[in-house]
This record gives sequence, C-alpha cells and structure tokens, in this order.
Amino acid sequence: MNEMSKNENIDIQIYNFAYLDENTKRMIRRALLKALCIPGYQVPFSSREMPMPYGWGTGGIQVTSACLIPKDVLKVIDQGADDTTNAVSIRKFFQKTANVAVTEKTSDASLIQTRHRIPETKLKEKQILVYQVPIPEPLRFLEPRETETRKMHALSEYGLMYVKLYEDIAKHGHIETAYAYPVKTNGNYVTDPSPIPKFDNPKMNNSPAIQLFGAGREQRIYAIPPYTNVKSLDFEDYPFEAMKANFKCSICGSSDSYLDEIIVSDDGKRSYICSDTDYCKEQTKLNSKKEDQL
Amino acid sequence: MKQDFLFKASNISKYYGQNIGCKNVSLDINSGEVLGIVGESGSGKSTLLNCIYGNLELDEGDIFLNDKSKTILNFTKISEPKLRLIQRSDLAFVHQNPRDGLRMNISAGGNIGERLMAIGHRNYGEIREIASNWLEKVEIDVSRIDDKPSTFSGGMQQRLQIARNLVTKPRLIFMDEPTGGLDVSVQAKILDLLRNLVRELGIAAIIITHDLAVVRLLADRIIVMQNGNVVEAGLCDQVLDDPQHKYSQLLVSSVLQV
Repeated sequence: MNEMSKNENIDIQIYNFAYLDENTKRMIRRALLKALCIPGYQVPFSSREMPMPYGWGTGGIQVTSACLIPKDVLKVIDQGADDTTNAVSIRKFFQKTANVAVTEKTSDASLIQTRHRIPETKLKEKQILVYQVPIPEPLRFLEPRETETRKMHALSEYGLMYVKLYEDIAKHGHIETAYAYPVKTNGNYVTDPSPIPKFDNPKMNNSPAIQLFGAGREQRIYAIPPYTNVKSLDFEDYPFEAMKANFKCSICGSSDSYLDEIIVSDDGKRSYICSDTDYCKEQTKLNSKKEDQL
Repeated sequence: MKQDFLFKASNISKYYGQNIGCKNVSLDINSGEVLGIVGESGSGKSTLLNCIYGNLELDEGDIFLNDKSKTILNFTKISEPKLRLIQRSDLAFVHQNPRDGLRMNISAGGNIGERLMAIGHRNYGEIREIASNWLEKVEIDVSRIDDKPSTFSGGMQQRLQIARNLVTKPRLIFMDEPTGGLDVSVQAKILDLLRNLVRELGIAAIIITHDLAVVRLLADRIIVMQNGNVVEAGLCDQVLDDPQHKYSQLLVSSVLQV
C-alpha cells in the first residue's frame, strides 16, 4: 500500500502538470486566444506527438492540457458516454498527469472534453467544452487544395458548401448530412462542428460556455466564444432540422435526448437508450424521486 | 476615354522570364460583340486570354471593365475579392477541356447551380428550376439533371460547361478553344448553340481558336497573333477575305478545302 502511493508521487513528479511542457502550453494558449478572437477561424498550431495515436483525440487532449488548472473539475465523454474506453483512458491520463478532480456530472465540471456529442444538460458560463476534431476543414472533400480553401474562407466564398447540400437534396429528397453539419459562426466563417450529430447543432448557438476545437493530426485549433451566433446552413425551402430517432429512452424514458440504437438480440430486436449517460442517470433519479412522492 | 465600351485591355505585356508571352496587346470590345483571337500554337493566345480574365498577373498594361452600374473598374487596381466576384458574376470562362471547367463528381444540376449559390441563391426549388431551364437551352435531356458529368459524352460535357457559365447571365464570356477536341458534327452543333445564345442573350464573347471556320461563323472582329504580337486586326470578313500581313495570308491559305 505504502509502495503504491509512493509510485503515484513519482508519476506526478515525472510529468509536468497536465503532461505538456510549459512552452508548448503557452504556444497552444496563444493559438486559443487567437481562435477566440476570430470565431470559427482555423488557427495553425504546432501539434505535438502525444503518448497515444492520432484519432484518439490528440488535438482535444492538447487543448485540455493547455487549459487545465489544478482546481479544475474534469469530465471526459466519448459519444456522450463517460464509461467508454476512450473517455476512461483520457480521464485517467489527466488524473495521472495533472492530479485534477474528475466528475461524471455535467453541471459539476469546469472543463469537459468531448468526442462526438454536446452534453444534454445545458452548459453554463465559466465552463469550457473541448471538442476532439478529426477534420477541421468543412470544405475538405469539396475542394482538395488547401491553398484554395483558405482563400475561400478568407473571401467567404461558400457557394460550394451549398453545392454539397444541393447534392444531398437532389439525391435523397432531403439534407442527408446527419453529422459534422456545417455551421456559419458569427455570420462569417463556415465551420465544421466536428462529427457531432446535427441534433446538437442548435446547442452551439449562443452557448454560455466557451467552445474550443482541437485537431491534432491536422494541426488546427478553432473556437466559438460564449454567446456567439452559430447558424446551421440550409436552403429557404429546405430549412435545417435537428433530428433524432423518434423513440423514448428504454432506461429513463426521456423523449427529448439523443438516442443510441442498440441491437439486443440475434433476431434484430432493437432498443434505444440515451447516448448521454450522465443525463440518463439524472433522469432515472428524477423519475424514482417522483415515484417515491407518489 | 470613350465610355461606351464594355471591356478594354490596353498595352498588355506578359513575359515568362526571357520569353515573351504576349507583348503590347490592346483590344476592346462592345457589349454583344464577338471577338475572335486566332494564331498558331504558342502565339500567346491563351496567355493573353488568361491575362485579361485576371488569372495571370500582368507585367505591363491595364484592363478596364465597364460594370453594370456604369463604373469603370481597373482589374489591376481592384482587390482580389472584388475581382473574384466579378469573375463569377459579370465574366465567365469556358475551358477547352470540360474537365477543367466542370466538377466531375457533382451532378449536372449541381454544376449549373454552383455559380448561382456562389452569388447568394438559397432556394433549392428555384435553383433546380433554373438548372433545368438551362439544360433545355443547351439541348441536354432534363432527366439527366442528377447524373454526373462523367457519364456524359464530350459534346454534352462541353454544352454543360457552357450552361454552367451562362447561368448567371455574364456580360462577357471568355472561351479558350471551346470546340477543340470534338468531332466535326458535334463541333457544328456547339457552334450553332453558341451563336444562338450569344445573339439571343446579347453576351459579348472573346473566343480563342486556331480554326478559321469557327471565327468566320461566330466572330464580328478578329485579331491575328504571332509570337506574342498582334499582327493584324479588323473586321472578320475583311481580314479573312483580304489578309494584309503575310502571316495572316499564310493562315488563310493553309485552310484545307474539301
């Protein structure tokens, strides 16, 4: 027992606070400040090799690392869940290297790192939401030349972005894009909200929390400051629609949270549960309280 | 300066290091007029066209456009955003190879709609209707609206490219050998189409070609280029029937007679 706690102490000494060295954190903070000043603009930064592969959220982890302070309370979610491999590993990583308090409760957290979801519980001021971003460039698959996409952003030539939505409607009769749905930030830059479901897009608009986006492999950081207008692109006759599976959560019974579809038997029986595990737990608690009162 | 021109280039020079791209070329064009530029390969036709369209930076000279609100814009002085806006609203550029001017992995309707969306159209139904109208105008079956250009024949691709460029009703269209690489019967069809559209919509055009038959059919005036210089300019019939410069004479006499 004694030996174990000794080892933990050594771990903390080996790593600088939150793993990255102070100069790197300073460089990232500079990029973050610039990103906050120009909402939606992709700021290049010198992404570091992290002790995990690209695609595990190295961008988000670097941003979190640069933002963490010792009194922070950290929450990490992956597809809305606190208990998946990715979320658990990243949470442990910061417990080990920064020794910060962690939580699963959205309302208790001061910094939330997320992959693919925005928590259902409304975020507050003084909270930071850090997104892990695989592809920061919304125009990537429409215009392969990065020199050209940069120019298109600079001159706000976004006709091509609408061509993608046009193609969706022409092919499927509606806008089929269901995740990474492009938004216009502060009426200026078209931004990729990372692969969150379009159900979450309205939560980005006018959010009291700071939203930071880190793309490690692509070496880009961008941000949406609090209370910024974020509008999902659409056509006049095909307006944006935040959609979800039309069921109730089979655990908590909530009908207004985003649902995961789960196949529960060999003959294809399906069940739907909240993707946000914290929200689901809260709702279940509320329900049992109501039952007790009855 | 005379105020009634549509587009004017004066003393354009472009050098590639020691080599001359084009030298001291001046031209002007009025609205609704078609100007042909002829000359052999390497005579500076494409360089000139890219220069005056604003794609290449000039070494010397000025380019003026009399825009819709009758103000005269100098291409070498205006900002890049402004120039790109003009390029996709007032001007249009038809490439020799439709693959350069089309997005091959986007449907025909999307290809036509792109320029509309780029200038602010945000109504799907409207965009689609305009796209179908244009497909009809360039004689492509409207049922092909959701097909990709890669499934089209060369002639259809070229017609689609023309539709894509004309949809925003530009006032001046630049064409770099629009019928090069197509077989003769398809060429005739496209020329016929171009002639009708240009006349009907009153669009001015600058057409590069090495095919004298094309300029004879389409152009009001022509410019003959050799080694980056203009050697002769004048009314189309006048230059082709009575060429003065020895290079023009050579060019006219080398046309194959069937």
